[in-house]
Amino acid sequence: MSYIDVLKQTQNVMTPGSSACQGCGGELILRRVMQIAGNNSVFAVPPGCMAGAGVDGWNFSNGCTAPIHITLLDNTASFMSGVSEMYQRKGRQDVNIVAIAGDGATADCGFQSLSGAAERGTKMLYVCYDNEGYMNTGYQRSSTTSLGSSTSTTPAGAAINGKEQQQKYVPLIMAMHNIEYCATASPSNMADLVAKIQKGLEASKRGFAYLHVFSPCPTGWKFAPDQSIAVARKAVAANLCPIWECDKGVFKLTPNRRPITIAEFVAGIGKFKKLTEEEIASIQSLVDERWALLEKLAAE
Amino acid sequence: MNDTRFVTPLGNDGMYILDTAAWRIVRPVMDKEKCINCGVCMGYCPVNSIYAEGKEIRISYDYCKGCGICAAECPKQAIHMEQEVK
Repeated sequence: MSYIDVLKQTQNVMTPGSSACQGCGGELILRRVMQIAGNNSVFAVPPGCMAGAGVDGWNFSNGCTAPIHITLLDNTASFMSGVSEMYQRKGRQDVNIVAIAGDGATADCGFQSLSGAAERGTKMLYVCYDNEGYMNTGYQRSSTTSLGSSTSTTPAGAAINGKEQQQKYVPLIMAMHNIEYCATASPSNMADLVAKIQKGLEASKRGFAYLHVFSPCPTGWKFAPDQSIAVARKAVAANLCPIWECDKGVFKLTPNRRPITIAEFVAGIGKFKKLTEEEIASIQSLVDERWALLEKLAAE
Repeated sequence: MNDTRFVTPLGNDGMYILDTAAWRIVRPVMDKEKCINCGVCMGYCPVNSIYAEGKEIRISYDYCKGCGICAAECPKQAIHMEQEVK
């Protein structure tokens, strides 16, 4: 069954009319995860863009039709550990336990609880939509923000030229927790994303599953909303978001058939407008090293 | 109330939903002669405004924010964006 048929057969779990921006990658990922998980699920969405857009129903304007919790920024994984344990003891193994968090609630504030839940092998699926910053509060830098990004806490100007550090690569850190399933995906490759959500949900019945999804943000990154998917596609081609999965410790890297350079990727994205040649070379060497490392891991 | 595309009843009898259609500046228009009903636009629509009725793919304007992803991603260029007329 193709992914289109899967999407045709599933129902909307999140109600329409969410206040996410036009062309939001996060909303696209959230809706796909929710509709594939279905109504027999318990969701957790920590504060961030998607909670702010009202999926938890706090604004009384929209919400979702499955049980959903707005957890704290730092306790999403530990909160869902308890929920998962309760459902296991009640004998309700059929319920999908799904957390959907942004990169701030995953890589920065929520990392301790996430790492703990992964180490304990809690039976849940944790989806991170990585838009490289705290977008809900106006794009502050996070640890997954790329080098040279002009954010509201690292504005490109006379003193600094955007973020001064390289991004932290969370999915490999999670894979090194020896979890049941760990994968990266991009909304530009929807067939792959849908397959990985299904695989992740299946793996969440046996142990901890983690899904890291690249999520372009038109408002924060300053590009036209209709270019969302094109930017995600370019990020995959530039190896900024390599597509791979680690199923029970076995790495599988999706080959990049038409690689492009980082210079081609950053063209047209507002947050990278003031990027210097050295910074582009620096990001390029980071992604090249990352790709080489992933190739080595996948070769074994 | 009788809208069955969504799981909750909408409107006066059901949930009040934010009218995101009012944000729209341009609206996607599908050219049914070019469209091959592949469903790629449906997969990429962030607000799930594109739906399938049987084999046919259709656009709902109820909540479409007019982002233009469908027009940009259509493999047959069957969708174009038109200025919203008030």
